[in-house]
Amino acid sequence: MLPRVVVVLGLPPVHSCNTSHPCHALQIEALMMEMQNPDTGIKTQTQKVMITDIPHAVAGNDILQWILQRLQITEEEALHLGDLFVKYGYIYPLQEPKNLTLRRDGSLYRFQTPYFWPTQSWPADDTDYAIYLAKKNIKRKGILEEYEKEHYNMLNQKINYKWDFVIMQAKEQYKAGKERKKADRYALDCQERAYWLVNRTPPGMLNVLEYGLDRATDPNENKVNQVRQLIMYCQQAIMKSRVKSSVSLGGLVKYSEQFLSNDPILSGCLPSNPWVTDDPEFWDLNAKLVEVPTKMRVERWAFNFSELMRDPKGRQNFQLFLKKEFSGENLGFWEACEDLKYGDQSKVKEKAEEIYKLFLAPGARRWINIDGTTMGITVKGLKHPHRYVLDAAQTHIYMLMKKDSYGRYLKSPVYKEMLAKAVVPQETVKKRQVKLALCTGHGKTPSHETLAARGDTEPLQGPLWILLSPTWTEPLSPCKVKVTGSHMGTNSILLVSDCWHKVDGLRRGRLEMAFSRPR
Amino acid sequence: MVKEECKALLDALNKVTACYRHMVLTIGGTSDSQNLREELKKTRQKAQELAVANRNKLTTVLKDKTVSKEDKAEFERLWVIFSTCLEILEIDMRRALELGHEFPLNVPKKHLIQTGMSGGTSGVAARAMSVQNMKYEAEHNIDVVDLKDLENEINQVGEMMYEMEMKVSVPQWTVEAKQDPGAELKSTISMGASSIGMISVEENKSFCDISKVLAGIIFSAVLIIAIVLAVCVVKLS
Repeated sequence: MLPRVVVVLGLPPVHSCNTSHPCHALQIEALMMEMQNPDTGIKTQTQKVMITDIPHAVAGNDILQWILQRLQITEEEALHLGDLFVKYGYIYPLQEPKNLTLRRDGSLYRFQTPYFWPTQSWPADDTDYAIYLAKKNIKRKGILEEYEKEHYNMLNQKINYKWDFVIMQAKEQYKAGKERKKADRYALDCQERAYWLVNRTPPGMLNVLEYGLDRATDPNENKVNQVRQLIMYCQQAIMKSRVKSSVSLGGLVKYSEQFLSNDPILSGCLPSNPWVTDDPEFWDLNAKLVEVPTKMRVERWAFNFSELMRDPKGRQNFQLFLKKEFSGENLGFWEACEDLKYGDQSKVKEKAEEIYKLFLAPGARRWINIDGTTMGITVKGLKHPHRYVLDAAQTHIYMLMKKDSYGRYLKSPVYKEMLAKAVVPQETVKKRQVKLALCTGHGKTPSHETLAARGDTEPLQGPLWILLSPTWTEPLSPCKVKVTGSHMGTNSILLVSDCWHKVDGLRRGRLEMAFSRPR
Repeated sequence: MVKEECKALLDALNKVTACYRHMVLTIGGTSDSQNLREELKKTRQKAQELAVANRNKLTTVLKDKTVSKEDKAEFERLWVIFSTCLEILEIDMRRALELGHEFPLNVPKKHLIQTGMSGGTSGVAARAMSVQNMKYEAEHNIDVVDLKDLENEINQVGEMMYEMEMKVSVPQWTVEAKQDPGAELKSTISMGASSIGMISVEENKSFCDISKVLAGIIFSAVLIIAIVLAVCVVKLS
């Protein structure tokens, strides 16, 4: 977490809150400024580098004592806080630049220039880093550390289009630096190095600025709007209509009970499950517009109106009934609306016009009977037709059919005839099973133990299924099976016990199976 | 020729930007002073003039349909350098504004950060303004007064950048750098021992050197004494 918002130390918030930049609790920075006070701040020493003296060095112990005395916290806390100051780059060590910890002895530190203070508004830029590396290259005549060399090459590729500028700017910054006096140049170097040690950590060093994923919300953002949105959301959530769980669960139970017999997994399906027996008869019998539907299907139409409408055969039958009652145009209109909604949208305009001409226009051939307001809305909407323009009329007709015609349909001779005609498919014969007599001790090779089994099969049609019972295969499973017989070739299958395995392509005759198991 | 003029203008802007960056680094530190603030003001005004001149020149050239393909590529490269330079300048100006607000100079309670700087930046400023010596003629509260102007200038630069982007469409990523990585090493900048930066690298080495020298001196001194003693012994005996 960046220091700007983390430290709550009971200090008064800082002075300058102007409109040009957002004001945060700049408490660490206030502390930094207090440390500079000639009377109450930290005493500075001079750092001797060869023949030059560079002022404003502070000892680690002095920093610690100052924090203790100013903030009145425990020594452990003060040490940790001071350590954070160094880690984030507010203070940098002079004697061991890469060791960003606060030592409570006389080792020297110096304050970082405010430009290089850590801040969220100005993240360390790749271009700046490239310029820094180029400058370092110039100063050290090409001697960069390994990770810096890697970064250099990577940046050269990444911001290649800016590279000329990077070189130009690095040279100019280097030359401009020479206009300052030696001691200042040295201090500047130390500052920059410290800044980039924090912002582009060398491998192996702790990267304090890594805070995980970027936040989706801006902590600087206006809180009031966020809270307003939250309030609106909560109000709407309260107003949502709810159903008691006893009611909804009762509905679920009722649904499950009603549909249990129709569920192929729970209740099995007739004639047989095609996925198991490879027999597509089930799908043939239940095709969309099959001549004679199954009884289960026809009974299902009586559950509720939507079941009838979702089955094309059901709709076909229902249409027969409606024609007898002279209200066939209702279903026709409904189907046309469905086509408009789910059909080719490029033809929306033409379709809508056709529907209007056929069903809605006064004096149309199949005029539907809807009330005045709905008709008005629909006609108005048809000026700019789109997918859902006939939604209101369609709902009206649907409700009409549901409440009125559906009841009569279920009692009508049309439905009853269909019910009588409906077929109940026969369950298919169980899988062919081959009884195999195991001949043991057939042959032994160093790597395989072979056993054989033989069996005769009737004239075959379709696949053969093999099941090895666990007792049989206990010494054998898993094992490979070679199936030979008068068929197209040998099948080598890996058998696991208690599982049906399929063998294809067998013809009539003798079936031999050799089991082998690797040692 | 047009190309040379453009390059010269761009080099000038580059120089001023580098100097401006140096000066912004010093805000808030012990080298900060009213003079620095005045230098900042003058430098950035110069930078703005150069930026406008650059922009005008480059836009006229880029809009000209009669330039050859190689020339156009070259001008696009210059354009990319120019726009990057301007971005850096704008960022530095914004930071200068922020730091200027945080570190007003005449408030007795606000202490400047002791960054180890003791010298001034007049040399850098002189380099930026291309003069021999800087003259300081501003009032004593320029640090506060200038901030308003700075805000306006930042807005101006921002607008200029926006206009540039709208009027001239140069896809930045298509420009290829002319300089290879490491090109800065080939330049003939003297990196003599005058820089203390070098000293800090060789700090460790130089200690060993000195100890070696000392050892050599001691050894030779001992040797001379031994020879002298031997001669004395020989003479006396």
